[in-house]
Amino acid sequence: MSTVIEQIEQQIAQLSARTIKKNTGTIRSVADGVAKVDGLSEVMYNEMVQFPGDTIGIALNLEADEVGCVVLGDTSRLKEGDEVFTTGKLLSVPVGKALLGRVVDALGRPVDGKGPIDAKEFYPVERIAPGIILRKGVSQPVLTGIMAIDSMIPIGRGQRELIIGDRSTGKTTIVIDTIINQARINRQGLASKDPAFRPLYSIYVAVGQKNSNIARTIAALEAAGAMEYTILVAAPAADNPANQYIAPYAGAAMGEWFMENGMDALIVYDDLSKHAVAYRQISLVLKRPSGREAYPGDVFYLHSRLLERAARLANKGSLTALPIIETLAGDVSAYIPTNVISITDGQIYLETDLFNQGVRPAVSVGLSVSRVGSTAQLKLTKQVAGKIKGELAQFRELAAFAQFGSDLDARTRAQLDRGSRIVELFKQPAFNPLPIELQAAVLWAMQNNYFDPIEVPKIVAAADHLKEFLQTRKTALLDALRQKAALDDTLAMELKKALDEWKAAYAG
Amino acid sequence: MPASRPTQILARHLCQLSLVEGRVSADRVAAVLAYLRQHPPRQPVTVLKHYRRLIARQLARHEARVEHAGAIDAAILDAISTTLSRQYRRPITAAAQPNPALIAGLRIRVGDDLYDTSIAGRLAALTTLA
Repeated sequence: MSTVIEQIEQQIAQLSARTIKKNTGTIRSVADGVAKVDGLSEVMYNEMVQFPGDTIGIALNLEADEVGCVVLGDTSRLKEGDEVFTTGKLLSVPVGKALLGRVVDALGRPVDGKGPIDAKEFYPVERIAPGIILRKGVSQPVLTGIMAIDSMIPIGRGQRELIIGDRSTGKTTIVIDTIINQARINRQGLASKDPAFRPLYSIYVAVGQKNSNIARTIAALEAAGAMEYTILVAAPAADNPANQYIAPYAGAAMGEWFMENGMDALIVYDDLSKHAVAYRQISLVLKRPSGREAYPGDVFYLHSRLLERAARLANKGSLTALPIIETLAGDVSAYIPTNVISITDGQIYLETDLFNQGVRPAVSVGLSVSRVGSTAQLKLTKQVAGKIKGELAQFRELAAFAQFGSDLDARTRAQLDRGSRIVELFKQPAFNPLPIELQAAVLWAMQNNYFDPIEVPKIVAAADHLKEFLQTRKTALLDALRQKAALDDTLAMELKKALDEWKAAYAG
Repeated sequence: MPASRPTQILARHLCQLSLVEGRVSADRVAAVLAYLRQHPPRQPVTVLKHYRRLIARQLARHEARVEHAGAIDAAILDAISTTLSRQYRRPITAAAQPNPALIAGLRIRVGDDLYDTSIAGRLAALTTLA
C-alpha cells in the first residue's frame, strides 16, 4: 500500500516541480486604454493577456512587429518595459442564477458591495451565434406592460427589437417598464406553481451612462421588486472604453447561460450608440483604418455578431434582445441607426414632438414595426387590438391634413375623434406597466364605444378609473382573462356586464 | 514618434538583409549601417530604432538568458544550451545572469518564451490563484 502512496507522491512532486512556460512580451506604450506590446509571438486573436498587478487585457491587433491589447482595468500603473504574459484563455465571465439581483462590471465582478458571487460556471465573452438548424420560430410573447407596444408592436421571445429615439424621449423608461413587468409576471407565475410557466429573467447592460443614471435605474428596479430577477452589467462613462466595448458581450454571455439551460432571458443594451463610440475610440487608438463617421470598417459586424446571439432555440430557451440607439435630431438615417435597424427584427421609434405634446410613451406608430412579434401575440390582444394600429396611422394622416381646413365631413370628424381617444388611452405613466388582461379590458371598452361619451381631455382619468374599478371589483374576471388568454362569448358577456356597471358608476 | 508603415517595412527589410542562415551577422549589420549613413532614409532615427528592436529580437532568439539565485556552473549552462538547441532546432547559447530576487531556482528566457522554475515564480503563481 505504501508503494502506491509513494508513487502518487512522486507523481505530485513531478508535477509541482514542472517548469512553468509562458509566452511573454514587453509593453512599448500605453495610451487611452490600449497597450502596444513587443513580443507575445504565440498570442492568439482575442486571447486574454496578463499585465502586471492582476490587470488583464485582450489581444485585438496582431501585427508583424507588435500586438495591440485593450486593457480591462486600471492603466495608470502600467509602464513601458513591463512584462506581459499570454494566458491561453479567452476572456470569460461568471454566469448563472447566482448573478441575479447583482450589479456587476464588464468582467462579471460585483460592484454593489454585496460580497462575492458564488458562480459555478464561466462562459466566454465572445461566442459564435447559434446556427440555423438550432433555431426555432418566435411564438411566445414578451409582455412589456406598455399598452401601445403590446397591442401594436408586439415582441416575441427570441426577437431583437430596437428602441430608437432622440435623447430624453423615454427609451430607458420603456425597458425598465418591461423588466418590472417581467418581475411581476414571474412572481405571479411562480406563485401559481404552474409547471408550464416559464419565467423571463432580465439582464440590463448600461454602456457609457452616467453613474447617477445607473443608480436611478437600480433604485427604480429595487423599488418595484424587480432586482431579484435582474442582472445589471455596468460599464459607466467613467470606465475605460475597453470595458464599455466588452460589457454588451459579457451581458450576452450571461443571457446565453439561461438560453442554453432551457430558460428564457431578456437582455437590454443601453445603449449601442455609446458602444459604437467606445469601439471607434479603441479602433482609432489601434490605428485601424477608419471609414464613415470615423467608425472602423467592422462596426456593422460589431453589432451584428452581438445581436445574432439573441435567439429562440429548439428544445432549449430563448434570449430576447432590446438594443437601444440614441439618434441626433431624429436622424434615423445616420450610420449606426441604419446598421442596427437592418440587423434587428423591428423597431420602436420614439418621437420628441410626441413626448413634448405629453404623449408618453412617445411611440411613433407610423415608423415603429415588429417584424416577427405578431406571431407571438396573445389571441386576447389580437382580438381587441387587431385594427388599432391602422386606425391610429389613419388618424395621424388625417390630423395632418385637418390642420389646413376647417370644413370636415362627419366621417372624417368621427375618425379624428376616435383617433384622439386612442392616443389618450395609450398614455401611461413611467414605471407603471399594465397586466395584459387589464390592457385587453380597456381596449375592448374603447372598441365597444364606452369612452365615446367622455370628453377627450378626460379620457386618461376615465381610463384610470376603469382600471381601478376592474382591479378592485372584478378580479375574478381579470383572472379568467389572464388564464384563458382569449376572449370567448362568455367572457365577452361578463366584460360587457362589468363595463356597463363601471359606466353607471363613472357617470354617477 | 511611432514608426510609420513604410518605416516599419524598410526596417524589416534591413533586418532580413542582416541575417545569414537565420542568424544575425555582425558584418551584414555593419554593412547595413554603412549603407544607411551613405543613403539616409526619411526619418533615419525612427528607422534605426525600429531596426535595432528587430535585431535585438533576432539576437534573443539565439540566446538563452539564464537568471539564477544561487551558484551556477558552466556544465549546467552547457546542458541548458544543448537542450534548448535541440528543442528549438536552432543553435542557442546560454548566458548566466544572477538575480537574487528569484530566491532559488532558474528563470530562462529564449526570445518570447519564459521558463520559470524559481521559488519567486511559484509564489507569484500562488498569489494569482488566491
